Amino acid sequence: MGARILIVEDDERIRAALRLALEDEGNTVDEAASAEEGLPTFSQHPSDVVLVDLMLPGADGFELCRQLRRRSDVPILILTARSDSHDVVAGLEAGADDYVVKPAEPKELAARIRALQRRAARGRSDAAGPLAFGDGDLVVDVEAGQVRRGDEALALTKTEFRLLCELAESSGRVLSREALLERVWGYDYFGDSRLVDVHIRRLRGKVEDDPANPRYVVTVRGLGYRLEP
Amino acid sequence: MLIFTLGALFLSASLALITYERARTYLVRNRETSLQQQTFVNARLIRTRLRDPATDPAALLASLDLPTTSTEQVLRVRGDWYSTDEGRGVDVVPAPVLESVLAGEAAKQRVRLDGLPRLAVGVPLAEVGSEYFAVFPLRRLSDTLGVLRYSLLLGALVTTVAGAAAGFWTSRRVLRPLADVSAAAASVAAGRFDIRLEGGSDPDLATVATSFNHMTDALERRIRRDARFASAVSHELRSPLSTLVASIEVMLGRRDDLPERSRTAVDLLAGEVRRFQRLVEDLLEMSRLDAGADVLELEDVRLDEFVRHATAGAGVRPDVVDVADGAHRAVINADKRRLERVVANLVENAEHYGGGVSRVAVSADGAAARIAVEDRGPGVPAAEREVIFEPFVRGGNVGRRGMDGGAGLGLSLVSEHVRLHSGRVWVEDGEGGGARFVVELPVAAASR
Repeated sequence: MGARILIVEDDERIRAALRLALEDEGNTVDEAASAEEGLPTFSQHPSDVVLVDLMLPGADGFELCRQLRRRSDVPILILTARSDSHDVVAGLEAGADDYVVKPAEPKELAARIRALQRRAARGRSDAAGPLAFGDGDLVVDVEAGQVRRGDEALALTKTEFRLLCELAESSGRVLSREALLERVWGYDYFGDSRLVDVHIRRLRGKVEDDPANPRYVVTVRGLGYRLEP
Repeated sequence: MLIFTLGALFLSASLALITYERARTYLVRNRETSLQQQTFVNARLIRTRLRDPATDPAALLASLDLPTTSTEQVLRVRGDWYSTDEGRGVDVVPAPVLESVLAGEAAKQRVRLDGLPRLAVGVPLAEVGSEYFAVFPLRRLSDTLGVLRYSLLLGALVTTVAGAAAGFWTSRRVLRPLADVSAAAASVAAGRFDIRLEGGSDPDLATVATSFNHMTDALERRIRRDARFASAVSHELRSPLSTLVASIEVMLGRRDDLPERSRTAVDLLAGEVRRFQRLVEDLLEMSRLDAGADVLELEDVRLDEFVRHATAGAGVRPDVVDVADGAHRAVINADKRRLERVVANLVENAEHYGGGVSRVAVSADGAAARIAVEDRGPGVPAAEREVIFEPFVRGGNVGRRGMDGGAGLGLSLVSEHVRLHSGRVWVEDGEGGGARFVVELPVAAASR
């Protein structure tokens, strides 16, 4: 069961090699050599996952992430040269869901892509229908894949939604960053907890009235995060 | 400042002492001579008067001209002792003077009487068969000397204090700017390149400051250039590597479809690409660490949990990991991923050069946590134990490059990462004769 993947990478040899490898894993691959090519290609052939190299000529990878985010909640995987540079955080804040360090081993890429495509886990709570918080102010419908805040339907990325669902289905219990990394991204003990931190920030930006003083998505110091009922 | 103070003290004390001695000697001698003269004058007068046998010796004594009122006088005329009414008689005369004068020689001597210093002078008057003695108080002289002593002491003290003050001022003025320069140099050495010095008013120091600033500017430019170079190199190296890695994996996926010779070639290629990838990663990491460009992501991590995960990831069997009692609750403040590389490197080292990991011992006390990786190999000779942590050095016991052929960077990366965590790493003899590599890290909290 493959995905439709868009690779945005200026080095054509890398593109070709990755195409080979990903197609071997059963995926369909579209290519773009720049951010300017990437957007129209995405519009024409909506992908399941977009791979973006941060070092692009012209408009850089960050800009492409932002543009993609304006139109879609598609999972974005950024390719970065170093894991400890602030590129990673900047890419995540621009809208990426996860990152892979170059040179990317295709097997690892494939694993990340599969993880990003997982549907939000369901059935963990006893409640059959949507989960409500704050006396119905915040409603998380896992089955339908929707979140409402008051009257408004929130536009969350797939990963943000999955994160919120994990918190919601744990009914007020604290979830550690390690647990969240594992459930949402599929990482083990050595996962990068910045993924969780940045996504929590992004979630707060969309869910909370005042992201600096969150009412729902709350930090529990030294333990993790929790969704307040 | 100490030198100034001591110097001033020494000089002024010497000066005071010498002055005092000189003055004292002079004053004393002067006084004695004058009293002596006075006595001789009085003696001549007495001799003249005593030629007249009717003279009353006591009255004669009383009529003499004396420098002070408390002078004692004693006169012996033809065997009889006379003194003034208030006088105490021959007892005031010290024995040596008495003897000498009775034997016919004039004499003088300083003596203490009633706790006060005095001078006794004696003159024989042979012509009239008499001896004359006078004992003068030296109190005023002594007082004068006392005042002199006191003033000189005070002078010495004042000079010493002035010396101390001069020393203090000098050190403030001269040494403080020098201390500023050396502090600035230390900051630069530690990696801060934005330090600049001000020249201040002193022209000499201004020259030093200007040179220093030029040097720091040049250093900063150099570092930035190096960093840009390293970053450009990094990109240029990673791009072809990406293609290589991806293509190799595609080929390995089709390995079984290949004829045998091609299969062998692909295996060789795969091994070399992997090795090259490791080398590039290690080199880039070394250069980043050198440039000080790294940021640690620290979090509180359970030591035992961390070691179990890290060793499992490196392929070490769980039964080989031995967590000591004190370490069960220990927590360290660490960048998990970097420390994992440290553990993986040590395990790899043990496997390639030490015949495999025999034990991973985890221990902790109140202050420090330790992770020790022991192997079954020949150990590391004492002479090499420091140098193996340097880049590109491989131990002497290592043979030709095997299939894994390291470049000698692993341990230097271990050393740098551990250093960034404020820890230490070293190698010692393991219990079984092999090597034991120990990583020591500060403990964050001993209990949850």
